[in-house]
Amino acid sequence: MLTAEVAWELLASTGLSLARMVASYIISFVVAVFTGVAMAKNKYVEAIMLPLLDVLQSIPILGFLPAALVVFVRVLGPAVGAELSAVFLLFTSLVWNMIFGVYTSVKSLESSVDDLARVYRLPLLHRYMYIYLPASRGSVAANSIVSWAGGWFFLTSAEVLSIGKTEYSLRGLGSFIIKTYAQGDQTAYVAGLTMLFAVILLSYLLLWNPVAMKYTQTKALVGFTRVYEELEKAVSRIRGLIWDRLSSAYSVIRREKGGLAVAILFPIILDVASINNICLSTTGWLSGSWVYIEEFLVNLPLTALRVYGVMAAGLALTIMLAYISHMMPRLSKAIVMLGEVLSSIPAMMWWPILLPALRGFPTGIMLFIYMQGSIWYVFFNTIIFGLTRVSRELDELSEIYGVRGRLYITKIFIPSIMPSIVAGSISSSGGAWNASIVAEHIRLGELNIDVGGVGSLLSRYAEMGDIYGVVLTSLLMSVTIVVINKLLWARLVRKIGGTYVIG
Amino acid sequence: MSLGRDIVIEVKEVSKSYATGGREVEVLRNISFAAGREFVAVLGPSGCGKSTLLRIIAGVEKPSRGEVVFHLDGKPSIGFVFQFPTLLPWLTVEENVLLPLMARGMSKKEALGNAYRALKIVGLYEFRDFYPNELSGGMRQRVNIARAIAVNPDILLMDEPFSNLDPLTAENMRSEILDIWLSSLLPIKTIIMVTHNVEEAVLMSDKIVVLSPRPATVVRIVENTLPRPRSRKASEVQELVDKVYEYVS
Repeated sequence: MLTAEVAWELLASTGLSLARMVASYIISFVVAVFTGVAMAKNKYVEAIMLPLLDVLQSIPILGFLPAALVVFVRVLGPAVGAELSAVFLLFTSLVWNMIFGVYTSVKSLESSVDDLARVYRLPLLHRYMYIYLPASRGSVAANSIVSWAGGWFFLTSAEVLSIGKTEYSLRGLGSFIIKTYAQGDQTAYVAGLTMLFAVILLSYLLLWNPVAMKYTQTKALVGFTRVYEELEKAVSRIRGLIWDRLSSAYSVIRREKGGLAVAILFPIILDVASINNICLSTTGWLSGSWVYIEEFLVNLPLTALRVYGVMAAGLALTIMLAYISHMMPRLSKAIVMLGEVLSSIPAMMWWPILLPALRGFPTGIMLFIYMQGSIWYVFFNTIIFGLTRVSRELDELSEIYGVRGRLYITKIFIPSIMPSIVAGSISSSGGAWNASIVAEHIRLGELNIDVGGVGSLLSRYAEMGDIYGVVLTSLLMSVTIVVINKLLWARLVRKIGGTYVIG
Repeated sequence: MSLGRDIVIEVKEVSKSYATGGREVEVLRNISFAAGREFVAVLGPSGCGKSTLLRIIAGVEKPSRGEVVFHLDGKPSIGFVFQFPTLLPWLTVEENVLLPLMARGMSKKEALGNAYRALKIVGLYEFRDFYPNELSGGMRQRVNIARAIAVNPDILLMDEPFSNLDPLTAENMRSEILDIWLSSLLPIKTIIMVTHNVEEAVLMSDKIVVLSPRPATVVRIVENTLPRPRSRKASEVQELVDKVYEYVS
């Protein structure tokens, strides 16, 4: 039985984790809106941010976390510092695709809308409220589904932070589950897991799915709109009040330029801050770096093989699931719902969950976590956006001329969803690299498994408290990924993109 | 309109070039004309830069050389009828019309008054709570017009406003616009309409500015003093249409 004390602890932990997630989401939302609009509207911001985002979303943020933690803790003290690094990690797992969502939506607005804004001299505030925000709601809603899952996926990693012998454990659902598992408290562990599933399931059924159903064309989601509608009514009532105040205040001070500058600078400040962290914590000497580089090079092929192998498998699986969803729309809802829950389970938790079944086969668990970190970006992009691209005209055409089976899949179906697959694939490779850090090494309670690779290297350095090793290896890894992306991936994407985009 | 000798807008030697792909493309060359309290049609072949000229007059685009001068007290209030309705799909008809008014910091009550009057003029008051995608093409274009006249414009600019409507709807809308213009219901001083339709220009305007193909220059300015209402079939209308056709080709 669950004691009242443990139950209370569970509730409090859940509340705190949710608060962390919501805070990170709100920050991500604000940053995404301002950065996305700035990129779409200003070609200089676009020229700087587009390649920068490409790098940021494909490098393993998890690898830089220990360094960020050290700095945050040193500057702000352990309590606030650890909390901030947690929110920082969650933020980095939420924000990138949301920025892209806003950017592409605003970018694809017809140019006559710009003329409209200029002819009638709409102030910046009105442009945001009546044009940019509503224009991006569909893509923000769809991307929120992926982002929310991405946040949960790293929840445990964000709540249980350790460097060397110092462990910063934040009170939260992720740490609750890990701690009770490590202590062997079965009841509490199961209660924690159940709570986790319930919270994830409810957040999708009551919030994200209804939002996405309302603002996109997708038919693949299940959700109860009642709660969301009430919430929206309440919000719009409050917004009405704030809005009146805001616009009257705004007409007094129209500081358009200042606001835009802050909006652009804010994310950059964050990025610079994270780079600064690395410089501060660099204590070793360059001459000592060779050992790390050698270790990195030895382990790199192992991880690269896993990353791209898993990605290929993930793409194949996604296409298969997309095809099933397209052919059996009723099944698609179940597939997506399952995806939403699976994608949200914190990476580290797959070890205790899967271990009873796969005790003698840790490689299987590792590959599974890899898959978890990578497949969902492509999966949601394809099922939510891609399937709406398979046009009814093309389907009718196939029916009239008897195009079926393999011919249909290769000539009609895959080309139609290709743009969505390609769009999700860069994040997907970034996700796989990031997942390597949690997938290749685990030390939890009596568990101690290591399958080698760059990810395990990073985890081990962090455990030893070797910040220099962590940062250097993360940097090497980032550079490798960027080079691979630029040399191979980008070319492939351009080739595929050029061929398959239907006008 | 005979009372309008005083000039409202002067377009002075306006030229415009774009740089595309490293090459300079000249769109407008030395365009000059003046508009009084009258209905001016700017007539030219498709793609000659008429729309660019209108956007320059609206202040949305800057000319490479030359200027546009308004002889009005204070800033001119401009209504713009876009070629495509350009309604925001997430706002209702009423909210679409309200948007420019709210942007000027007008009080909600005053703005609503203006919007309702404009919607009544175009006959869409009953549809004010509809969303754009629930309306027909003609109705959407009416909302576009309502939005333009709701701002109480001194100057109404129209960019091929009837070119994307079916012939029947276009014909009705032409007479509606003329009704609004001739009834003096609104304080509109000048209308400038861009079109490639010679008959439309002759039937509606007091002055026709004929432009050449790209780079557009002013070929001729035709004063159109035919008595209203004008009938398509009237011989003097036919004569003027034939005459203007010669300038265009």
